[in-house]
Amino acid sequence: MNTNKKPLGGKILTAPVMVLAIPVLVALYFLAYRFIFGIGGPVSNLTDHQSWGVWKVLGVLVGAALVNGGYVTAFIVYIFNKGHYHRFVAPAVLVSFLGYSFAGIALLYDVGRYWGLLNFFIPKYWQPNSVLFEVAICVMSYVFILGIEFFPNILEKFIPDSESGKNFAAKLHSVLDRLLFLTVAFGVVLPTMHQSGLGGLAILFGQKLSPLWQTPFISLLYLISAIAMGLFTVTAVEILITEDLRDKAFVTLLSKLARLGKNVALVFILLRWVEILHMGGLGKAFELNVESFSFWLEMIAFGTAIYLLRNSKNRSSPRLLFLGACLTLFGGALYRVNTYIVGFNPAPDVFYFPSLPEFMISIGMFCLEIVIFITIVKIFPVLTRE
Amino acid sequence: MKIKRRKFLKGLAGAGAGVAAAPLLTGTALARENHTLKDDHIGMLYDATRCIGCKACEVACKKANNMPVEPDEKGIYDAPRDLSYKTMNIIKLYKGEEGTSFVKKQCMHCVDPSCVSGCPTAALKKEPNGIVSWDIDACVGCRYCQMNCPYNIPKFEFNDAYGKIVKCELCKNTNLAEKGQPACTEACPNQAVVFGKVKELLVKAKRRIMDSPALYINQVYGEREGGGNSVLYLSSVPFEKLGLPKLPDASDASISEGIQHTLYQGLLAPVVIYGGLVAIAYRNRFGKKED
Repeated sequence: MNTNKKPLGGKILTAPVMVLAIPVLVALYFLAYRFIFGIGGPVSNLTDHQSWGVWKVLGVLVGAALVNGGYVTAFIVYIFNKGHYHRFVAPAVLVSFLGYSFAGIALLYDVGRYWGLLNFFIPKYWQPNSVLFEVAICVMSYVFILGIEFFPNILEKFIPDSESGKNFAAKLHSVLDRLLFLTVAFGVVLPTMHQSGLGGLAILFGQKLSPLWQTPFISLLYLISAIAMGLFTVTAVEILITEDLRDKAFVTLLSKLARLGKNVALVFILLRWVEILHMGGLGKAFELNVESFSFWLEMIAFGTAIYLLRNSKNRSSPRLLFLGACLTLFGGALYRVNTYIVGFNPAPDVFYFPSLPEFMISIGMFCLEIVIFITIVKIFPVLTRE
Repeated sequence: MKIKRRKFLKGLAGAGAGVAAAPLLTGTALARENHTLKDDHIGMLYDATRCIGCKACEVACKKANNMPVEPDEKGIYDAPRDLSYKTMNIIKLYKGEEGTSFVKKQCMHCVDPSCVSGCPTAALKKEPNGIVSWDIDACVGCRYCQMNCPYNIPKFEFNDAYGKIVKCELCKNTNLAEKGQPACTEACPNQAVVFGKVKELLVKAKRRIMDSPALYINQVYGEREGGGNSVLYLSSVPFEKLGLPKLPDASDASISEGIQHTLYQGLLAPVVIYGGLVAIAYRNRFGKKED
């Protein structure tokens, strides 16, 4: 592979890293509290009625969709054989690997009996009827697969430049490279299963979920929106980490990605409306309340993104690309928050808003993810640089 | 070579789309059948018109199951406001334009429970006698049961680092094991709540409606709702007023599992798709370069 991947080098403890460390420390403080006194108040605002909050919804559901770049790039590069997108793969896989690992970490502090998570490795506790069981198994396997997908980037640091002396790292690298097709196929099947499963969880909510979101096809909607989000995460992250936005070839590549993303988002919105009408949710959209407001916000975010990215002229502007990407990501995230929190009405007058510690734990973990990402791309060859 | 691969890709895409679109085309038609009530399922019949609101069942429940008290503001009475991890059984009062009625709340022991269907580690189980029980060793505390229960029954000890899920298990390890019936039915002075085989209770309930049609709403709540329950209700005020939701006859579990089983029958679809993807990725990597 004739790539130009290079470690960025430079100091690890830069000013931005130090700033990001502050919310991480705050989060660790509150986490200590959670593990000593439990997840209830004052740590979280979770109740028996709304017992899934930001930890699960932002940390796992939104998190997993936002970092879906590893899935879409694997699909595009290895299955559709579009080699010229190859430079997007390594950073996307790293983002996915970190994102999924942190989704797993989020579960450690979200579930009430975290030691019980070991039961997922004990066959007598397996419950194949459960969508949550399927999601859990797929996510765990996928973290492992992402690790294997990313590992060659670590190895590359230890491979000597000259071909003459092939060391252990080089040999292992070439074995992994030859077996990549096996890994990559898992890297496509597993996210397809769990991204749809993350929506399928809501089917059991039955009437507790507003007909604006409840549908037997919610799995499919989650899968489609996760693909759009994956494509736009790659777009947004690439714009953020590139050195040279005037690089025409690079922007053209991104705009093609965005065109695909826009089309997927369009399919999502159309199907979404078919299902709203099918489930008889239209009336709910015109009631005056938080639910309908949040619904329209979701629609407007997607609609604006699709409008902004409608033609190739707009899509060649990095500014509009970035804006469109962020809007889609926001819309997709809100879609998930709406399904699990805003549109979820277990009983009259149940209102949930996360507590400060709850929020800070999620934000702190997100900052930690960014710090680890920055550190890894400084040490290991992940990003393509001319 | 190229044509062949393209054909193959197309076929694979078709298969994939088929799997994805299956639920789309058929919708809830994919739902499996509801699980059905068995002859030896045990349960309760609660007749709201007979309940005098004495709360003897609440006291008996706490005593039999060793539950903590929830004192009122002055600390004099045990006065829980709602079900919680301290209270698995409660009597509530409805007073409104449709009349006045007490209502007893506890686990409904659904015939086809969402909590059992959704529980990822089989901590919630439907036992052969119909009791929905909770296994402390299996539970991961994910609280999916709380999210999917149509009656909001399972409760969690949020303020405990080792919190447990708490719900009525029909006294299966306590009063039922010792005295042959749950504490609440044993304690009820007016036979407002009685214990028995669900099928027999259903006959009893229907007979009561037939004997005094003026007294009752002409419906046994729990016969069909959400696939049916092992706890049946009779009432003179509409059931929704008592906090018992109108539910469709098909259980949510039947829809969820129907879709899940169609997609993952014998893991066939994932395996076939994996195989196809492996073949494509292999060709892309090692096959002849075409462009």
